[in-house]
Amino acid sequence: MLIVVDPSSGVPVFRQVMDQVRFHIASGLLKAGDELPPTRTLSAELGVNPMTISKAYNLLERDGVLERRPGRPLVVAALASEELELERLEQLRSHLSGAVRAAQQLNFKPGEAVKVFRQMLEINKED
Amino acid sequence: MSVLALSDIHRSFEPGVPVLDGVDLNVDAGEVVGLLGRNGAGKTTLVHIAMGMLHQQRGTVEVFGLDPHRQPVEVKKRIGFVSENQILPAFLKVRDVVELHRHLFSSWDEEMAATLAHRFGLRPGARIKTLSKGQARQVALLCALCHRPELLLLDEPAGGLDALARREFLETSIQALSDTGTTIVFSSHYLSDVERLADRVVMLHDSKVLIDNSIDELHESFSIALVPHRPQGTSDALLALPECLGVRVRSDAVHAVFSLHPDDACALITQKLGVTDAMCRTAGLEEMFIEIAGGER
Repeated sequence: MLIVVDPSSGVPVFRQVMDQVRFHIASGLLKAGDELPPTRTLSAELGVNPMTISKAYNLLERDGVLERRPGRPLVVAALASEELELERLEQLRSHLSGAVRAAQQLNFKPGEAVKVFRQMLEINKED
Repeated sequence: MSVLALSDIHRSFEPGVPVLDGVDLNVDAGEVVGLLGRNGAGKTTLVHIAMGMLHQQRGTVEVFGLDPHRQPVEVKKRIGFVSENQILPAFLKVRDVVELHRHLFSSWDEEMAATLAHRFGLRPGARIKTLSKGQARQVALLCALCHRPELLLLDEPAGGLDALARREFLETSIQALSDTGTTIVFSSHYLSDVERLADRVVMLHDSKVLIDNSIDELHESFSIALVPHRPQGTSDALLALPECLGVRVRSDAVHAVFSLHPDDACALITQKLGVTDAMCRTAGLEEMFIEIAGGER
């Protein structure tokens, strides 16, 4: 699975894991029913405390993002399409919040900032 | 269940110069505690007192509810210990050192010893004195882990190791942790290792425990405030706030560490100092450590 952690980023490792699982679900990389690696496998691969991984998994389960059935691996829960849509929007919002702050600090008018965003989207598409 | 209970520990090596000055530390079963502090902060002294290798001058020590000075064998049987300055007998072969430990501990796990020796690529016939620093540390870790200790005390275990050897050491400790729920207390100057492994961080500073919090609390409920130098006495005013752990005066601003969420820290600074342009944010352990260790209180 595509999870990487940066322990010195200042963001708790369990939150980094949660954010990335949510991102992969929103992007469609992880689909309903897909299995997640067992806690000890993921903790060994990332080189982090297993408690950290189980904390992330438990919170995702509580949020209804993951599903645990007795004796089976943890899987991605089946989300309604409107829930997925909300999740996609939420992910984009959280990634843009830093850009919004920077635009304000640099005194860009909303129209100018949106123009830059649009230009960058177009350039990326051409690649 | 309490594994380690240190209460009001005092220790000095020179009269009037305390190394530990009233230190309390309680560790429950299954916890992984990272011990931080500058060189000379007393981390090694604390670990040695817990091991019963050194006497405290005041206070009490209990390990598994036992006194490590009165019942040294019972306590040591259940502890695994690795330190940066550990000396293995140079003239012995790897095989002999492992054999020695196997005989000392009735709970020795042959299979685990074989697995680790293979994983570390240790040659049984190699003499200790011919090993690299990293390999010697791996022999020490093997000996510390294979009697399946309930408590692992690691004193700067990664000191002097390259990045890959450090990571392997970490992964092996993590495996022990997920297999048997071993309690771990380790000191390290590699703060990203602490962030990976520890669920709780204890920082010794000025001979006392300055911080004792879960790593998630440190990341989310502690902050660094950058307060522009304007009204004179900014740093004193900040230090007067009980939630302020330390300040460091830089050329352009005063840096202050708060045991508060960034929003609350900014609100407090505005309320008490009337400063509205402070910037508060969360930070990683390394930055926090530098601000506290390099600052004044």
